[in-house]
Amino acid sequence: MTSFAPLLVLDDIRKNYGAIEALKSISFTIGKGEVVALLGDNGAGKSTLVKIIAGGLEPTSGRMTFDGRDFLARSPSEAKAAGIETVYQDLSLATNVDVVANFFMGRELTRKVLGMSVLDEKAMEAVVAKALASAGTKIPSLRTKVEHLSGGQRQAIELNRFVHWGGKLVLLDEPFAALGVEQTRRGLEMIRAVANQGIGVVIITHIMQQAFQVADRIVVIRQGVVAGDVATKDTSPDAVVNMITGETLAAAGAAG
Amino acid sequence: MNPNTRRALEFILDNLVWFMLLFVLLVFSIFVPNYFQPGIFANIIEASSVLGVMSIGLALVIIAGHMDLSVESVAALSAMAVGIVFCSAGIGMGVQLTPDWLGVPVSLIIALAVGSAIGAFNGLLIVKLKMNAFIVTLASYIWVRGVVLALSGGRSAQDLAPAIRWFGVQRLLGLPLTAWIAILCFVVFSLIMAKSRFGRHLIIIGGNQNAAFRAGIKVDRILITSFVLAGAIAALAGWLLAIRTSGATANLGMGLLFNAFAAVVIGGVSLKGGVGALPGVYAGVLLLSAINTAINLMGLPATSTQVIHGLLVLAAVLLDTLKLSIRQKLA
Repeated sequence: MTSFAPLLVLDDIRKNYGAIEALKSISFTIGKGEVVALLGDNGAGKSTLVKIIAGGLEPTSGRMTFDGRDFLARSPSEAKAAGIETVYQDLSLATNVDVVANFFMGRELTRKVLGMSVLDEKAMEAVVAKALASAGTKIPSLRTKVEHLSGGQRQAIELNRFVHWGGKLVLLDEPFAALGVEQTRRGLEMIRAVANQGIGVVIITHIMQQAFQVADRIVVIRQGVVAGDVATKDTSPDAVVNMITGETLAAAGAAG
Repeated sequence: MNPNTRRALEFILDNLVWFMLLFVLLVFSIFVPNYFQPGIFANIIEASSVLGVMSIGLALVIIAGHMDLSVESVAALSAMAVGIVFCSAGIGMGVQLTPDWLGVPVSLIIALAVGSAIGAFNGLLIVKLKMNAFIVTLASYIWVRGVVLALSGGRSAQDLAPAIRWFGVQRLLGLPLTAWIAILCFVVFSLIMAKSRFGRHLIIIGGNQNAAFRAGIKVDRILITSFVLAGAIAALAGWLLAIRTSGATANLGMGLLFNAFAAVVIGGVSLKGGVGALPGVYAGVLLLSAINTAINLMGLPATSTQVIHGLLVLAAVLLDTLKLSIRQKLA
């Protein structure tokens, strides 16, 4: 039902915690350059699903195909190596180091001095300055420790970080929770710009309006199953609310 | 506040322990008779070499957000191992190598192997089995000291081989080579922490281990490495201690752990992890040593040192809290 070439295919993903089934068979597809909004009530299993894709959790069973190949990330670094970037709702910043160190966390640039790898601070700072400037984010000094920055500034750093690193698929878990109106608008634009480069985007949100503004497709998860998978233009906020609360399953249309 | 004042204030806060050291040296030089002379200052640096080296390893682990109580016992065991092999009196076996100088690398390798092995043991239990670092290293603190006692049978090894002793005797610019080794260690590890990816990752892990993991940093490997390093560095401290005392006794280095803690905390390393730098730790070590020297010169009973050290640690933690609130106002 989508015009996008498939990027990530989830096939019957299940996750059990002991006797509790957090995910009971999730199947859907994310296309290249497609923005998918993942909706669902608290505890529906959205975050669990994101962690499974991002390498933070392993599924109990099920298959994933990423970019045409079988895929299972056992750690975040494996997911990253495959080209999957994640922005978590509790921000993944180390507040005890500066903006540059956070931007390049785990990917620091080095140069050789006397045969040893030394952090190339100047080069990294230049890259960060450029990335933040082009996104219109203003931070007084890139050498400020993140603990001195506001919630909005922190979230902006995370967003700019994923825009910069890109990869093939981006997962955003409630990325705008701490942002103001203007920053949110810019964040949504960023997401569109990223998708237009052919990168797949999954965005988890509670705010219906955001989902309709940015997403090509809306996938609703309810009690660990896909309760709806529809193109944004073919549905309405009311219909989606019904899928989330479970009043109508039929209205969701055929899955997949 | 204009940016220059802010920068000046930040600079002072970042280097507060150095200013404290200068202040203390100044006060002692003025008020303590015979304090102000090169020999005394050389002595301060010399006396702080063993403690200084040990503090480096402890600081690395604390910056990574963990704890290593075993460094003192590891130093003692390494010293004892070197003493048993290379001392010619007491329980020493008096092993002779030809040429003589071969004893230097061999004794170092023995010490470092002992230290790294215990560090690796601690690290694996803490990181892989997710045991509490405090408990694991407390256990090591006890059992490693037990091994020292068992190995020595309570007796001591004396008369270390002269080729190894040479490092404690030979002087360069008025300081014995052992002191230079400590200074070199501080320079090397300060550079590693400030300029290498390993150092950067260690600091990030101390600040937010989860974020580091999500960013693809190999958290487990880096943490285990930090424990191995702490063990190896403690062993180097033990090697220096053996040289300094020309042998090893069963209770060698007793109490060093708490001084190392004091130096690390005074040096501005936060026990919460992620905060602190090694140059500050060296200043902390020198500060303790400067105070000890003053106490000796004034003829105060040595027991008062402990009281003063304790108060100093309290003052350091208090200062840390104060610094934090000033920084928050600056931001």
